[in-house]
Amino acid sequence: MADSSHEGSVDNAVGAATVTQSPSTQALSRVEPAQSESGLFSGESVLNILKLIFAGAPLPDVLTIIARLVEAEGKGMFCTIWLLDEDGRYVRCATAPSLPGFTANWDRTPVGPTGACCGTAVYRREPVYVTDVLSDPLWDGYRHLVLPYGIRAVWAQPLLSSEGKVLGTFSILYRQARGPSTADLQMIENASHIVGIALERHMKEEELRRSEAFLAEGQRLSRTGSFSWRVATDEITWSEELYRIFEFDRDVPVTLELIGSRVHPEDIPLLNDMIDRARGTGSDFEYEHRLQMSNHSVKYLHMVGHGTRDRDGRLVYIGAAQDVTERRLSEETLGKVRSELAHVARVTSLGALTASIAHEVNQPLSGIVTNASTCLRMLAADPPNVDGARETARRTIRDGNRASNVITRLRALFSKKETTIESLDLNEAIREVIALSLSELQRNRVILRTELADDLPLVTGDRVQLQQVVLNLLRNASDAMSAVDDRPRHMVITTEREEADRVRLTVQDAGVGLDPQAMDRLFEAFYTTKNEGMGMGLSVSRSIIERHHGRLWAAPNDGPGATFSFSIPCAPASVTSAGRRPIGKDAKRIMRNP
Amino acid sequence: MVRRSLVSVVDDDESVRESLPDLLRELGFAAHAFSSAEEFLTSDYVAQTNCLILDIAMPGMTGLDLQRELKLRRQEIPIVFITAHRDETVRPRVLEQGAVGCLFKPFSERALVEALNATLRINERCI
Repeated sequence: MADSSHEGSVDNAVGAATVTQSPSTQALSRVEPAQSESGLFSGESVLNILKLIFAGAPLPDVLTIIARLVEAEGKGMFCTIWLLDEDGRYVRCATAPSLPGFTANWDRTPVGPTGACCGTAVYRREPVYVTDVLSDPLWDGYRHLVLPYGIRAVWAQPLLSSEGKVLGTFSILYRQARGPSTADLQMIENASHIVGIALERHMKEEELRRSEAFLAEGQRLSRTGSFSWRVATDEITWSEELYRIFEFDRDVPVTLELIGSRVHPEDIPLLNDMIDRARGTGSDFEYEHRLQMSNHSVKYLHMVGHGTRDRDGRLVYIGAAQDVTERRLSEETLGKVRSELAHVARVTSLGALTASIAHEVNQPLSGIVTNASTCLRMLAADPPNVDGARETARRTIRDGNRASNVITRLRALFSKKETTIESLDLNEAIREVIALSLSELQRNRVILRTELADDLPLVTGDRVQLQQVVLNLLRNASDAMSAVDDRPRHMVITTEREEADRVRLTVQDAGVGLDPQAMDRLFEAFYTTKNEGMGMGLSVSRSIIERHHGRLWAAPNDGPGATFSFSIPCAPASVTSAGRRPIGKDAKRIMRNP
Repeated sequence: MVRRSLVSVVDDDESVRESLPDLLRELGFAAHAFSSAEEFLTSDYVAQTNCLILDIAMPGMTGLDLQRELKLRRQEIPIVFITAHRDETVRPRVLEQGAVGCLFKPFSERALVEALNATLRINERCI
């Protein structure tokens, strides 16, 4: 409705009904003014106008044609049509075909009790007939706008939508001071009705256009295209965004073959399988596959389809396909970053552990060096003490093996590997961590008790990552007790089988305990209460446990200290795999029943 | 007959307790090993010990605790600390507390002999 005062495209010469503009309005020239016996429009003119309206001719052109037709009805009569602004504060002249320069001089009138005829009629929601603008106070302040045309009488009829909303006015102007006759009133009502139809139609189109634009914008922003697939005929329609995702021209007819030409070669069997299933069952589908674009880049597409039946009972799929490439790539990056982070945390905490590891290695080395010295001395004695030398050599070998074992355990912890999933004995993994940490725990005067369940089932997971978590919990527990001197520094590590085929590890300390205020932040990255801590330990630990489909939590003890626990599922032999997704598969399909 | 100097070794690590006394005996000392500070303190060897080779980090009473305890008991035994923690700040700290030497494991026979000679010189001065 905002496109008011559109008269430039129509020849403004008074009385001319020739239209000379865009192809879309060429049909207008067929709507010639025709005098009917009753003095109203002929049925044919009205029909032609309605045809124009429903053919989607531009609104200003339609309004101008109607005005011209009305003007052809009576000699000395001028017709203007006014439209209400969207904010409802002004009416603007949309057309005044026989009053040159009129809309340019007078483009708007405020809606109100004294707004000439147009503004007042909209305000009152009823017709306003001014027989003489010279004397009528409604025209105070507006007369100069019509007097140059010699206008004396103005009648304005409000235009109402079918819901009763005021859309503007239809106005008749005369050079004589006069009021409307019954025939005039009839004509005005008929014409207003047709203008109302044109306006409503225009508004609906605008609304549709706007909602389509919203939809297209929404599809573009979310990279989601929609489609329909008529299974019997393989007739497929795509939204614009889907063309954009597939990078096909808008005018190319979509076929399954065309789609197949873009699908990643490795995912073609998946596509065929999906098509076969859809044809056969009519059930909803959801699957993810890759596209290979002409420049060999790869896109990830997530597609859902809903099977419906048309009126004749034939299967039609309506669906949506989303380009999830960015999400997939960021997931991959995230996975990589997470593993880097776990590595950093591992190395950092091991950095702090280096001293105790060096201790572990230096102990047997010390034995080796001392035994070797003793051995040399015994052999150099006169007579050589061969038995003694043999004994020290034996000890040298034993200590050498001991050092080697430490190195092996160390290498397992330091090595940076991608996640390797295996069945493992959690108790054994814990014992290894304890073996590495023991001297540090002893140095911190921690009294460690282990209560590892004998019948613990195997778990599935990454041994090194789980050991990392255990190491973190041990270190945290030990650190929490470093300032405790008034009670023994007891630490209890427990494993037990939980219900629902899960395994639980708990690490209980007698340390400073948990700050109730900070419970929520405990597992946040970079949250730390330690001077040397990076605050990564618990955050990384939790993400590791969650990747193992488990849970990591903390709770205060009844007495001093805190207990940290995690719980993870047993190996699949004893657990159903329902609800667990395979990790790292490029393409997957989830068939669902409707 | 000259009594051989008694060197007592206190270390929780078994391989040290096994190997070091043998080497000390080869070097001409009498040697005795203890697995903890407490064991040494409750033994009959405290008064006879001419030199103490003492591990720093031990569960329970540490080497430094024992050093302090001996001082309190006025048992002025020269001490050579040994440790598997290569922490350079430890050495000045224990020397300040009166230790004769501080060796990082693994240590060479020569370093050991030098440290023992230093303790013996102290013993000679005391006599």
